[in-house]
Amino acid sequence: MSAPADQLPVGLVACDCLTPLGDAAATNAALLAHTCALKLTPVLGRDGGDLVPLALLGPMDETLSPRWLPDLRLLATRIPADDWGSASAPVIVTSSNFGVGGLYAFTRDHDSRHLGHSTPFASVELLRHEFGWGEHVQVFSHACVTAHLGLAHAARLLHAGLAERVLVFSFDFVSPFVAGGFHSLKILNGTLPAPYAKRETGAIGLGDGAAFAVLTREAGPFRLAAHALHNEMFHFTGNQPEGAGFTACAAALSAATGGRHVWVKGHGTGTLDAGRLEAEAIARQFPGAPLTGWKGSLGHTLGSCGLVELAIALAALRGGRIPGTVGGTSPSFTDAVALNSFASAEFDGAILTSNAFGGAHAAMLLTHD
Amino acid sequence: MIERFIHHLCVELPAADEAAAGARLRLADKFPRTALRRMTHLGLLVGAALEGSSLGPDDALVYASTFAETRALEDFLTSFPAASPLLFQTSIHPGGVQQVLIGRQQPIARLWPHAGRARLVEQALLTALLEPAARVALVGGEERGSWMLEQGMASARAFAFATILTRSPNGATGRLTFAPGREAAEACPTLENFAFALAARQSLTWPGGNGRWTMEWL
Repeated sequence: MSAPADQLPVGLVACDCLTPLGDAAATNAALLAHTCALKLTPVLGRDGGDLVPLALLGPMDETLSPRWLPDLRLLATRIPADDWGSASAPVIVTSSNFGVGGLYAFTRDHDSRHLGHSTPFASVELLRHEFGWGEHVQVFSHACVTAHLGLAHAARLLHAGLAERVLVFSFDFVSPFVAGGFHSLKILNGTLPAPYAKRETGAIGLGDGAAFAVLTREAGPFRLAAHALHNEMFHFTGNQPEGAGFTACAAALSAATGGRHVWVKGHGTGTLDAGRLEAEAIARQFPGAPLTGWKGSLGHTLGSCGLVELAIALAALRGGRIPGTVGGTSPSFTDAVALNSFASAEFDGAILTSNAFGGAHAAMLLTHD
Repeated sequence: MIERFIHHLCVELPAADEAAAGARLRLADKFPRTALRRMTHLGLLVGAALEGSSLGPDDALVYASTFAETRALEDFLTSFPAASPLLFQTSIHPGGVQQVLIGRQQPIARLWPHAGRARLVEQALLTALLEPAARVALVGGEERGSWMLEQGMASARAFAFATILTRSPNGATGRLTFAPGREAAEACPTLENFAFALAARQSLTWPGGNGRWTMEWL
C-alpha cells in the first residue's frame, strides 16, 4: 500500500550543480567517460584515520571562512537574477549537513569563530546575506532525501498560488563529522563503492555537492511532473527485509508515469542490502527500464544528492546520452542495471530516487518534450 | 483561506532542570524499556506528546526544531576519534521524531522536517496546511543544550508539542487558518512561544509569509 504521488507539474527554468568534476555539463561528460572522482583520503582529514573514498572540492578540514562558501558563491553566479527570498519568489534551502564541519573544528581548536556558520540556521543566515535573499527562506533537513522535499514543497507552493517562482538551493560538504560518522557505521570503509554489484562487502563513498533549481508553474521543456515519498520507520539504518518501503515509493510514482517510457537514476550508494532491495523494487515497478546510479563516481552527496543528480540528469538529456553506473561491476543485482551509457532518445521520462536513514524513500518523475 | 482543525493536542513542558535521565524516570511507562534506554530527551518528550494519537501509513508528519538533537550532537562530537555509530545516527535531524515512530513501527507517507529559526513556526504551519493527507501531525520541540547552549547554539529549555490536524471540524478543539494577503510581515512566534500558546489554549494571530495566520480555540 502506498500514498498517491503528488502530481503537481512544474517547469524547470534553470538547474545546475557543482561537484568535484565541475558543473552539471562537465560532471555529465566525466561520468560518460567513467571518471571516478573518489579518492582514498584520511577519514578525519588532518586528524588522520583510515583511508576512505571521498570526492572533495578541496581539503575537507574546516576553515574559518567556511570551506564551502567560495564554491557556493561560484554556483550562485549561475542562478538567474530575481527577487529571491521575496514572498512571490521564496527560497528553499535543503541540506543534511549545513555547516556542521564547523562544530567539529570548534571541538578541536576551540575557536568560536567556527560557530558562526555551524548550525542550520546560522549557515542559512550566512547564505541569505551573501546572496541578498529576503526573509522568505525555508529550511528542510531530512538526511539524504532532503532535496526531494524541497522540490516537492516548491511544487505545492506554486500550485497553491503562494509563489510565482521558487529557488531550491542545496549543499552538503563532507567533514570529519560526517565521514567519521559513516565510518563508525562501517559502510564507509577502504573500498570503492560498486553500486548494485553482487559482491562480498558493501561500501559507500561520500562527496561534496551543491545544486540549485528554479521552478515555475509554467511548463518548460523539462518538467518535474510528480513526487512520491514514503517513510518505513522500521529501523534507523536498515530497511524492511522484503523491501516494502522501496516498493511503496516506486509504486506510487509508477502509477503517475502515465505510460511514459522511462529510465531510472537510482540511489545506488553501494551498500548491499539496500542496493539489492532498491534494484529489485525498480525492476518490478518499472519493467524494462534501465537503472543507473552515479555515486560510484561522485560519492554520496547526502541531503543534496537528489538535486545534484537532477542537474546531471538534465545535462545528460541535453546531450542525448545517459551515463551508466560508474563503479558498478557485473554481476549486478538485476539485469536492468546499466553499467554503460545509453541513448536518451527512446525515453520520454526519468525516475530519480533517493533514500535516507529511517527508511525514508523519495522519488520524482522528470519529463521532457 | 486554508484551514485545518486541531484534534489531538499534547504539550510537554518539563521542569527547567529536567534532563534525559529524569525524563526516562518520569515517562518510563510510556515506552518499551529497550527503547527508553536509547532515547534522547527530545525523543522522549516528542513520544510523550504523540501518545494517544494514531497515524496511518497514508498520513503525514510535519516536524519543527531549530536545534534538534543537541545532546546527541554534543556527545557525538566528544566521541571522536572513536566516533560513536549510535550517537551519529541519533544526532541527525529528524532523529527526535524518528526514534518515536521507529519505536512504534509506524510507517507514514510523508515526513517534513523543518530546521529554520526566525519564521520556523509559520513555515511548518504552511507545510502542514498544504499537506493533502487526511491526518497531519504537527510536531515540534527542543532539548536543553550543555556546552552548545553556552555558545548560544542550543535551546535553554526542553519542550515538545504534538497536534493532529484534519479538515474535519467535528470534535475539534481548535482551528488554524492562513488567509493570503499583502500585509507586511510582523514577528512570527518562536517555537517555544508557540508551544506555550498551545499549552494555554491561547489564541494567536500575526501577519507573515504573505498572509495572516490565526490559531483559535473552539
